[in-house]
Formats: sequence, structure tokens, C-alpha cells
Amino acid sequence: MPTWPEKRSVLGRRVRRADGPLKVTGAAKYTSDVQPAGCLYGMILRSKWPAARVTEIDLSEAARSPGIKAAILVRDGERRVRYYGEELAAVAGTTKQACLDALRKIAVRAQRLPFVVKETDGIKPDAPRVWEEAPNLSKPQVTERGQVEQAFAEADVVVEGTYSTQIEIHHCLESHGNAAVWNGDELTVWSSTQGVFSVREGLAGNLGVDQSKVRVISEFMGGGFGSKFGPGVEGAIVARLAKEANAPVKLMLSRFEESLAVGNRPSSIQKVRLGATRAGKLVAYELDSYGTAGVGSGAATEGGGGGAEFPAPYIYAIPNTRVQHRGVALNAGAARAFRAPGHPQASFGIESILDELAVKLGLDPVELRLLNDPSEIRQREYRLGRDRFGWREKYRSPGSSPGPVKVGVGCAGATWGGGGGGTRAQAQINPDGSVEIRCGTQDLGTGTRTVMAMVAAEVFGLPPEAIRARLGDTAYPPSGGSGGSTTAASVSPAVYDACEKALTELKQRTGLEDVRGENWKPACRKLGLEPLVVSGQWQKGLSSSGVGGVQFAEVEVDIETGLVRVRKITCVQDCGLIVSRLTCESQVNGGIIMGIGYALYEDRVMDAGTGVVLNPNLETYKLPGIADIPEIDVVLVDMPERGVIGIGEPVTIPTASAIANAVANALGVRISSLPITPDKVLAALGQVKEVTA
Amino acid sequence: MNRFRYANATSTESARELVGANGVYLAGGNDLLGLLKESIAEPGILVNLRSVPGLDQIEPGDAKWGLGAGVTVAQIEDHPGLRQAFPGLHEAAAEIASRQIRNVATLGGNLAQHSRCWYYRHRDIYCLKKGGDTCHARDGENKFHSIFSGNPCISPMVSSLAVILTALDATVVVQREGETVTLTMTDLYQRAWDNPTLHHSLDRSDIILRVEIPTRWSRSTYLQVAEKAAFDWATVSCAAAVRVADGRIQEARVVLGSVAPVPYQVAAANRLLQGQTWSDALGGSVAERLLRDATPFAHNGHKVPIARALMQRALRHVS
Repeated sequence: MPTWPEKRSVLGRRVRRADGPLKVTGAAKYTSDVQPAGCLYGMILRSKWPAARVTEIDLSEAARSPGIKAAILVRDGERRVRYYGEELAAVAGTTKQACLDALRKIAVRAQRLPFVVKETDGIKPDAPRVWEEAPNLSKPQVTERGQVEQAFAEADVVVEGTYSTQIEIHHCLESHGNAAVWNGDELTVWSSTQGVFSVREGLAGNLGVDQSKVRVISEFMGGGFGSKFGPGVEGAIVARLAKEANAPVKLMLSRFEESLAVGNRPSSIQKVRLGATRAGKLVAYELDSYGTAGVGSGAATEGGGGGAEFPAPYIYAIPNTRVQHRGVALNAGAARAFRAPGHPQASFGIESILDELAVKLGLDPVELRLLNDPSEIRQREYRLGRDRFGWREKYRSPGSSPGPVKVGVGCAGATWGGGGGGTRAQAQINPDGSVEIRCGTQDLGTGTRTVMAMVAAEVFGLPPEAIRARLGDTAYPPSGGSGGSTTAASVSPAVYDACEKALTELKQRTGLEDVRGENWKPACRKLGLEPLVVSGQWQKGLSSSGVGGVQFAEVEVDIETGLVRVRKITCVQDCGLIVSRLTCESQVNGGIIMGIGYALYEDRVMDAGTGVVLNPNLETYKLPGIADIPEIDVVLVDMPERGVIGIGEPVTIPTASAIANAVANALGVRISSLPITPDKVLAALGQVKEVTA
Repeated sequence: MNRFRYANATSTESARELVGANGVYLAGGNDLLGLLKESIAEPGILVNLRSVPGLDQIEPGDAKWGLGAGVTVAQIEDHPGLRQAFPGLHEAAAEIASRQIRNVATLGGNLAQHSRCWYYRHRDIYCLKKGGDTCHARDGENKFHSIFSGNPCISPMVSSLAVILTALDATVVVQREGETVTLTMTDLYQRAWDNPTLHHSLDRSDIILRVEIPTRWSRSTYLQVAEKAAFDWATVSCAAAVRVADGRIQEARVVLGSVAPVPYQVAAANRLLQGQTWSDALGGSVAERLLRDATPFAHNGHKVPIARALMQRALRHVS
């Protein structure tokens, strides 16, 4: 089995992002920047009804509208629509205004149907059905271990609570979208995607053309977070529009559309019961949870986006457990994978009730976790983080800090996989000594280019900036989608393998023993006219999976206004061999900031009366801004012997739980639903009078 | 967004002619652009007021300051003399949106902005404010809505500058039907108290020319609570201004924003402060009076304690 070099001169260093200058100067071309000659704009007509039977869509007037080159139906014939924003038709035109004007001219005949958009309404037996064939609430999935009732009966203490998490929208900085160009029967698509190969597969299948005739390019992209693996309805639409118009078409979704139809994190409403011994050893756990993945939930998930279940009791080993999950279908956009799917919800429920138990037993929350967390890695991290954060000095009994601005601390842990596989890469060494590395992966903005360049630089003894890393193109050797925090652990070994083999071949072809560093250029010159092109692939031994992380939060809460401010987050995270320290830390910062958004700000608001998303913009769907970001202290527990492990997802998991626990510690009462906004804080403090309607 | 014409006005008179029956004025455009993009406003013509000379002056004075309607929020924020004379005005300006927006947002535009109610701002919802027959917020998602209203619409007035300018007893000089009229801040919003379709008392062709602020105040302040630390609308805002002499409050104004269709003040609450020295107990009485008629809905009851806290803090600060 191959191994990483013992002595590393490039790996683990702080190296500037390979594409930093391109990005800050605007030279980097994202899909939204791509403008093929003669390119038309595409735009989608969406349902204005949360539920309706659509009997007729008349495109004739739109098709004749000035500047319009194509007008298509998303689906022929009579159809049901099941959420506000579902795609109905699309046009391509010479300007955005031409498209807007044309969309208004599409006549839709539809019969409104009853709808339901709130979880608590959707579970009622008489609620309108989202899918005709089955009730909204799915049959429960139950898993049981041990003797649950007996264990609860014998437990010294039992705590109970209901914890809920909201729908979170991905809101990638670059919206979903594609530009499509047909050349005869061959299609080239620029796509803002997490998987150039999965988009190719999806498009080829959808259009009924060979995969060999579809090329997908994603040179730069502005975030996906799990919502950009396939071409989506909008991807299939843009290819059809381009065919129909016989011209290139670009279709980028608007921020409004991003809020409706391209994924979200399912909600959860978790009823939890936890039993323990007087010493704090967990003995019994029961969960009854339901949540919604929008139209993707429920028993009749016709190609829906997955359920609302999550791992429980998450990272803790409890001998007696009963776990029940249900999904409730609603007339709302379907969920998609979202950075650590299921884990933040799982973390919030269990970590909240653990702190309730700690309070009841008078135990330090860190001690309670050390007593019950089976992971050796997290045990180490809790001890390390506790000192670094100053936990012992900062932790007080709940609600005991003086004055109107209460201070509190909390902690939480997380787990993730993050292994690699299924990737090929190619190294090309040119006679002038320049190096190109090609891999059909994509860079979500996390630094994959930098990672590729650093691995090659390590092998060849060159500076990373001497390496040209090329990615985001199905013309390159295949790699998987960038999801599950697998990219670095997939790509790094493949690049390493290709470069090691290239190095061997360079030595053979030149007859030189030492070709690295200073000898590089003279050796390459001996290649003559023919560059060296060598393929490699992911190899066992260079990556592994399974990481643990813990986070500590310090917050202040103004009990007169209900405002929560995060003062500090300390993150201690295992990530195996660190390839690129700067981009790694950047990933941690990003994950924590996303966790702060989940904890305090983000919430998709559905309106029960009209069935629409009420906050389809970044004005009222609130993301943390710079002023909301606290001091973030990142401690990377370097374990090079484990090889490369991804870090994108684990770092966002425990943040909201740690913040919620810190708020409860500050106040002495718990806000058990996310996000923790001033109205909820003041209500929990008994400051808000109940309003009887 | 609909198709529209665009014209640069060269004088306020020409602006009024150009705007006609279906035009709108354009200043910073922050509010208008959103309305256009969501097809809530569908004007036939945009009449640019930034091309009208003389609307962007800041004029200091002994008895009052004059601020042209075209003065940007950033200019108000940055002006050292204004900051010294009216600290609350500086504080309010500095809390508005982001620096990029403040760089183009104008005083007149801030005062004349439309409701931010998410039902009103939604392209596919027809509500009372748009001429429909239902206020969806009353039984819907009303977390950010009014706790006082004189009409069935419960979308609040959210201009931060209106709140502090009301506390400072400013007046607004408006060109109306070829005349120049002076409105109090109360006048500027009064029609929105009763009429659900209005955001302020201005007619379509009215143009705000300038705002005049009396200098008689000893101190002023502006505070707000928003969910985010920056670039967010206030859940509740509060401005206070006092004139102090001989250690006693001679005159005081305390005004709340984001709680009513107008900058909300109660004369009787202001009078409670007159001739008094500050105490928390006095603040409590003022709060009781100011919030007496609050009628919160299912999701905005938190505005009452927040208003009380802000009011106490603001008055404590200036007294």
C-alpha cells in the first residue's frame, strides 16, 4: 500500500489559494459569467399555486413575443402541481426583458386545489393530501435495541423534551444554472455543479443521447452545499431550449427561485426521552421525530428528495434505544442533501437533552460527554478544547451571570465519514518543465485546485505555483461528485499516484536518478518533443474516513431585548493528514459560520394562508453577516498517519447545538427550537404575553 | 419588471410635469428597484430627481439645520457638524442597511419608502395595501408587524430616519401642486395611520425638497434591535430627544419605529417627562403610557418588551 512521505515539505503548509488572484480580480469565469457567442437567456414560468390541476398552458402568444426564440412546456398534457414555484414552462430570448415579457403572455388554465405547508397542519388526518395515493404522514420507521421500558423504569433520572429545527435553504452564492451549446448532436454544458459527471449522466439520460456526446464544464463555481449534484429540471430545460432555438442558451436561477425549488434541509420536531444513572451514565433513549422534506416526504415519494430522518442517538452509545422517524409531505419544494445531511438535526436534539440531564444531575456538561462519548478522538478533543477555551473558568451554573446581559457557554460533538475513492487523475510533464494535472473533479470553492497543486508539488519537489491544476471538465479523467466531504480524500491520492508514476517514468526515460527540485528542468528537457502523460488513480492507504470534532461556544444574551450574540467558538477537529492548511481552516470557518446561521438566523417561512415562501430573498431569509461572526479559534488535530480525510461537513454539525446550550446556560431556560431569535428568547423568559386570537 | 421610460428632471417643476399620471420619482432607487423587480410598482416613466440641482445641500443654522432631500444617508452619517448637533440622527443613519446602500440612499427616499411587509413585497400576493381586501399578516406571519394601527393593515413604517426626525420635531418642506408646503413629521405619515393603501401622506406628484431640524434639543439618541448586528431591519427602533435646563427635562420626545404605520409617539407620554429629572421609575411610567394601547398579534408580542427596554435605555442615555 502506498503511503504519504514521512518528510513533507509542501503538504500541511499554508499555501495561498491557487486561484485566489483570478477570483479577486474577476478573471475567474463562473457559469454565470460564461457568454458563448449568440447566447440567449432562458427563463422559467413557475406555478403560482401551491397545489393545482393544470389543464392547459398556451405558449403561442409567448412564442410570438419579440425576441423570443424558443418556448417549451416542462411536461406535456394535464398535470398536477404540488408546490408554489414548480416548473411549468420556459422561454429563451435575446434579452432578459424579452423573456420576462414573454412569461407574462403564457396563459395557464388551472384548477386550484387545497394545500398544506406547515408541518403541524400536514400531520392532521384531515389535511389536504399532497400526494393523492397516501396520507401526508409516512408510516413510522422504528428501530429498537435492548429493553427500553425496563431501562427507563430502572433509570435514576429521566429527562424529556421536544426540540425542533427549521427548514434551511442552501442559498449558494452562485445560483443554480447552466449554459448549453449544441454542435450538431453534441452538447456542451457549463454548469454550476458539484458533479460534472453526474450532470452529464443526468442530462444524457434525460435527453436520450449518449454520454459520449455530452461534455460538462464547471471551471469555477460558487457553492453547492449538497444542492447541485444533478442537472435539475432547469438543466434539462436549458438543453431543450438551446435545441429548440438552435442557439446557445444560458439559464441561471434568480435568488427568488433558489428559495423555492432547488433544495433545503428538512425540518425536525423531535420528542426525546433520556434515562441515566445518578452518575450520568446513559442507559435509555427514546426518540419520536417527524419532519418534512417538502413534496419529497411522505409515503408516496415519487422520486422525491429523501426523507427527514437522521442518525439517533447520534454519537452516543446507549444500550437501550427506541427510535421512530416519520416524514410529513407538504406543498413545498423538496429537500436535497445539505452539508452533513441529518447530522445538525441529530446533534441539536441529543446535545440539548444531554445538557438538560447535566443540569438535573448537577454535572459539568463536558464531564457528562466524557462519560458517555465512545470516541477516543473526541475524548482527546474535549480535553484539549476545554483548556484552550477556558471552559472551567467560564462555566457557571445556568442563569447565574449578573446583569441584564447574561453570558453562557456550551459544547457539542460531531462525527462524519469523509473518505475517498473512485477517482483518476493525469499528470502531464512538458519538456519545458511545466506540469499539468488533470482530474474530472470540481472545485466548489473549497480549494481543490490548491490541493491538487500541492500534492503534485510535494512529489516533484517544485513550488505549488509551478503546477497547473485543471479540473471541472468531463474531458478529464473521471472523479465522483463533490459530496460527503470526499473530494480531498479522493483527489489527493489519485494525483499522488499519477505524480509518483510520472516521476518514476521520468527517471526511466531520462536515465537520471534524481529529477526533483533543481534537477527538474534539465531532466524534462531530455524528454525532447514528447510530453510525458501518466495516469493514476485513488489508492487505498492514502485516505481514510471517520472524523470526530467538538466545539465550544460562548454567547451573551440580552434578557431585555432577547438578542443573542456569539462571542467565541472554539473548534477542535480531527482531519487526518492536512493537505492545505489555509483552505482547511477556511473550510472550518465556513462550516462554523453556516452553523451560526442555523442557530440564530436562517429559517424558511411558509405562509399557511397563501402557500408561498414569504422570505424568498436574502433580506428576510437572514444569513449571518460579518458583524455577526465571533472570534473563531480553530484547532486541527493533525493525524497524518491516517491519510487524507474530508473536513467540509463535520465542522458545521455541532455549532448550533453548542450555541443553543450556551444560550440555555446563560439564561437558565432553554430555547428548544431553532433559530434562536429575540421573540423566542423573550417568550422563554416569560416576557411575552400570550395573545388569544 | 415592466418596460418603462426614463427621464432626467432638470427642476422640481419639470419633474412634476414628467411624472404625470403614471410615473414615479427616482432618487437612490434602493426601494424602487425592489418594487419594480417584483412588479409591485409598474410605472410608465421613472423621473430621476438626482439631476435636479440644489437638492443635496446640508445647511447649518443657529435655530435650525436644513438637509436637502437628495442628501445621502452616508453624507448624514459622515457629517461632523450634524453628528455634534444631532447625535441621534448620526446613530440612525449609521444603522441603515449597508454602507453601499447608504452611499446611494437619500434622505427623501428613506422617508418616502414603502412598507417592507413580506406580504406586500411578494410578487404573487394581493393584499390590502395593494388595494385588495385582506391583510394576510393579521392571521399569518406577523412577527415583524405593527402593534399599533389605525386601520386593518398591520405593516409598519420602518424608516429609521423618520423615527429620529420625529423625535427631533423636524419639518418637511414639500413641493405640492406647484406650491411649497411645510409638513410636520406627524403630517408626513398621518394618512397612513388610517388608510391601508398608503405608506405616507405624500401624493404621487409631491416632491420632498428638504428637511428642517430645530436645534433646541440638548441631546438625542437612536437605538434599535434587529436580529442581525448589521444590514437588517429593526424589529423595534426608538429615538429620544430632550431639552434640559436647570437639571430638569424641559421638553422630551420619545418615538418608536417598526411598531405602527407611522413613527409612533404619544403626547401624554412625552408630557410625563416634562419638568422631571430622570429615574427608572419615571421611565417605567412613560413606557406604560406609550405602550398602553399596544395590541400585539400571535407572533409579535415580543415587540412590547423590546420597545420598553429600548425606550428606557434611550431616555436614560439622553436625560
